[in-house]
Amino acid sequence: MNGAHASIRDVLYDAPGPKAKRRIAFVTVISLLALAALLAAIVRRFYVTGQLDPKYWSIFLRYTTWRFIGRGLLGTLQVAAASSVLAFAAGMLLMMARVCRYRVLNAIATFIIELSRGIPTLLFIYFFFLLAPQFGLQLPSFWRITLPVSISAMGVTAEALRSGVNAVPRGQTEAAVSLGMRSASVFFKIVFPQGFRYVIPTLISEMVIVFKDTTYAYVVNYADLMQNAKVLISNYDALLAVYLVVAVIYIVINYLINKLAATVERRTRAAVAAAK
Amino acid sequence: MMSVGELLSQFGDKYLQALWTTYGLTVLCFAGALVLGIAITVMRICPIKPLQWFGDFYVQIFRNIPGAALLIVLVYALPYLRVMLSYYMCVLVAVTLIPSSFCSEYLMAGMNTIGAGQIEAARSLGMTFFQIVKNVVLPQALRSTVLQMTNLLVATMLTTALASQVPLNPADLTGIVTYINTHAVGGITAFMISAFFYAVTAVVIGQIGNRIDKKVRILR
Repeated sequence: MNGAHASIRDVLYDAPGPKAKRRIAFVTVISLLALAALLAAIVRRFYVTGQLDPKYWSIFLRYTTWRFIGRGLLGTLQVAAASSVLAFAAGMLLMMARVCRYRVLNAIATFIIELSRGIPTLLFIYFFFLLAPQFGLQLPSFWRITLPVSISAMGVTAEALRSGVNAVPRGQTEAAVSLGMRSASVFFKIVFPQGFRYVIPTLISEMVIVFKDTTYAYVVNYADLMQNAKVLISNYDALLAVYLVVAVIYIVINYLINKLAATVERRTRAAVAAAK
Repeated sequence: MMSVGELLSQFGDKYLQALWTTYGLTVLCFAGALVLGIAITVMRICPIKPLQWFGDFYVQIFRNIPGAALLIVLVYALPYLRVMLSYYMCVLVAVTLIPSSFCSEYLMAGMNTIGAGQIEAARSLGMTFFQIVKNVVLPQALRSTVLQMTNLLVATMLTTALASQVPLNPADLTGIVTYINTHAVGGITAFMISAFFYAVTAVVIGQIGNRIDKKVRILR
């Protein structure tokens, strides 16, 4: 990611001359001052409202606090892992139905994919939360969050997989067919393995979407990171501190997943280029 | 269980208001996200290092924070800093900030498709940084990211469902489902109507985006 950004940044301006250097140095100092002022204003806000008081932050020095946060995070990770697996399985089936030769299956898969991609996760959550019980379907809270999150992710997964499959050159299919291979084995032995490799980075970055969607677990009272944060808050009366720390945990984890996706993408691209 | 007709005759005006809330939030937030996203992108490519850092930091924060977490911070944590925003404002801010970071990421990727030769040519014509950005870089970056921006508009609409997490009057398309379920046995029909509006809007936006893309895409 940073490599890609560096290129446009590098090309936009030449090595500056003495005049431009002075101007850049001047504006740099001004902008540094402005950013420092912004930071100072935020810290001051915390100070004057008493939010810097150690009583709010000292709970993070305790092992029990982190153990509780860790347990919530574990709950979040379990939902995220189960949702990712389910979304991948369902996305795979939808993709195959979408690209197969039967028109009816194509249409059904397209319809389901559009619904999955066009409806907010929260609405799916309310569907399972409010409506499923009316049909006598009693689900444990784990599934009441995992199912809607997977349903909401399966459409994008199917489309990502399809874009990978479509990126495999047609000549390969034609060659395999002319060798007498059956269409199913052409797909599973030749097209899909390559197409899948192209989209691994996309699939990894889609885990960020799944991970973010798990935050709605509080709606169904499932003990995830957010839900445990609420419990911590009611125990210690440190709302601002706890929510800020939890937000940072989410940001860091998603940042790492994105970094992983970018690294894998660079490697895949290099490998694909080397193979050509 | 109520039929669609019964449900609409009883809650029809509520649905219309809900649709209006969702569409209104979507349009406002998307417009705000575009403007903010462009501003952040200009910061990220300008020669001033601290502004680049700020832009990069901003994008990493808002593309990685879950919408619910951001909304909760805005609604429950900010009052402790004596920053009071109305519920509507909280939703508006959350659903603008998150897409703005994605907007900037798409623009950065779109810029990389512009040939270095063009920028060198502009520079040798004596154009300043802002002239190059305004006349050469941004127009092409926007034209080559129509499809991503279309997806972003749909994503923005889906993110406005966050509005159902705060008491809003009138409620949005997701909030109305819980409203109807607490006031009547709307059952699956209430869910279906909202789902239908979301999905149809998403498909229509997608189609329009494809058309615009075909018209303005720069063939290289």
